[in-house]
Amino acid sequence: MIRFVDATKIYSNGVVGLKNVTVKIDKGEFVFIIGASGSGKSTFLKLIMHEETPTEGEVYVNGYSVHNMPKSEVPYLRRSLGIVFQDFRLLPNKTAYDNVAFAMQIVEALPREIRRQVPLALGLVGLSKKAKAYPSQLSGGEQQRVALARALVNNPAVLIADEPTGNLDPKTSMEIMELLDEINQRGTTVIVATHEKSIVDAMKKRVITLDRGELISDVKKGSYTNED
Amino acid sequence: MKIRTLRLLAKEGTKNVYKNKLMSFASLATILATLFVLGLVLLIIVNVTTNLEAKKQDLQVKFYLRVDATRLEEEEVALFIEQSRASGVVAEYQYESREQAYENAKKDLKYEALMEGLTPENFAVGYFVTLTNPNDSDQFIARLKLFSGVDSQWITYPKQELERISGMVRVFNYVALFVIAVLMVISILLISNTIRLTVFARRKEIEIMKYVGANDWFIRFPFIIEGMLIGLLGALLSHLLTSQAYGWIKDGLNTLFNSIKISGLQLVEFGELSIRILVVNVLFGVTIGIIGSFMSVKKHLNV
Repeated sequence: MIRFVDATKIYSNGVVGLKNVTVKIDKGEFVFIIGASGSGKSTFLKLIMHEETPTEGEVYVNGYSVHNMPKSEVPYLRRSLGIVFQDFRLLPNKTAYDNVAFAMQIVEALPREIRRQVPLALGLVGLSKKAKAYPSQLSGGEQQRVALARALVNNPAVLIADEPTGNLDPKTSMEIMELLDEINQRGTTVIVATHEKSIVDAMKKRVITLDRGELISDVKKGSYTNED
Repeated sequence: MKIRTLRLLAKEGTKNVYKNKLMSFASLATILATLFVLGLVLLIIVNVTTNLEAKKQDLQVKFYLRVDATRLEEEEVALFIEQSRASGVVAEYQYESREQAYENAKKDLKYEALMEGLTPENFAVGYFVTLTNPNDSDQFIARLKLFSGVDSQWITYPKQELERISGMVRVFNYVALFVIAVLMVISILLISNTIRLTVFARRKEIEIMKYVGANDWFIRFPFIIEGMLIGLLGALLSHLLTSQAYGWIKDGLNTLFNSIKISGLQLVEFGELSIRILVVNVLFGVTIGIIGSFMSVKKHLNV
């Protein structure tokens, strides 16, 4: 599903993003990527979604060789992923419904498909009643739910979340994590980069720890401190 | 891309024009201002060129037959001129018979004593010929000289005048071309700058689309439709504005020409040029809109 083979990313300014990382994430897994700021969490995710390419090594995602992929294929890679960001990244001049529908329009889904799937996705994240609201009319938690609905609506094989709860209060954060867990239960691979200890500890999932770009531990049913 | 998707994106672009009112207005104002200036410059060029060309038309080939030309020789020349008119080489001509020449001379000469003893038979038949294309004059005159009845010493054509006017037209055309080129470069810079600003304000939007997996054309197309619509609207508004402004300028100048008694200067009616100016405006506006959007979006697509 996702495989890093000796992947290294050195940015043009010399900063090491990732160093010789080899790791494999299987279909249906739920994985936390943890580490302090600058540890390489974001770089790890950026390599998966081809926002960056590795300086050395190989990265495979959903059958695509991300390390040497033609530019024209990038949209197809991204359509096989659902991506959620800390700052939600919703289109400000579209309603919640239209934001979710947009992801389906991109893959040229039939209008009838869109009319069926979008309410389902919004229902799944508990936002059926806010379909017509614009992002500015929604709370942070609600905006993140819309982003989740958008990430899910095309049934991606992998869902990537970069600090999805970074801008949310603890209660809302827990709700979002429960949603991610639910999505994972339905078969989607979920990868979450976070530095929120309480969440990682509570969920008892696989934890990959990065430090200064290096993979320093990879524990099944781990916690933030990797005591077990 | 499917037709359905294209329709959706076209609708999206149209909606964006009024959703981003402020930026649309800024782009529209820039396009309007540039096309307005371009329109006026084009009108000035057309007017100057038309008037210069009209001056060229006024130049006539004047020639006289020999005084002792026979009737047969006169008829040969008359036939040639008539045929030339039928074939379009000659636009129009005036014929002056011996009698008319005699009468004219009598009118012109102050001292009647000078005319004493002269009869119409002492005068020559004359022709004043306006050529359809003044540049044909050399060839036309060469053919005239072949006729025995034509007095080749009395063929006159203001060749120098023609060359002077042709030179002026040429120089003016170069100047006009230069002005238009400068104007175009300025407007492209101005407009693409405005569009770049519009796109910059929405770069986040473009970035998000990329992350969701939109390909470049999916992102670009609505922007292009938007640019095209703004360009079209700017062209139509500028056409209205140009026609109004030209009307005022024309009235003002005509009054001025009349008051300082300049005759022969003719301002072209806007109606005759309306379609041409509109076509130039629309082509220019729409092209600028499309190119501007295309280039400005391009920079933000590399996410």
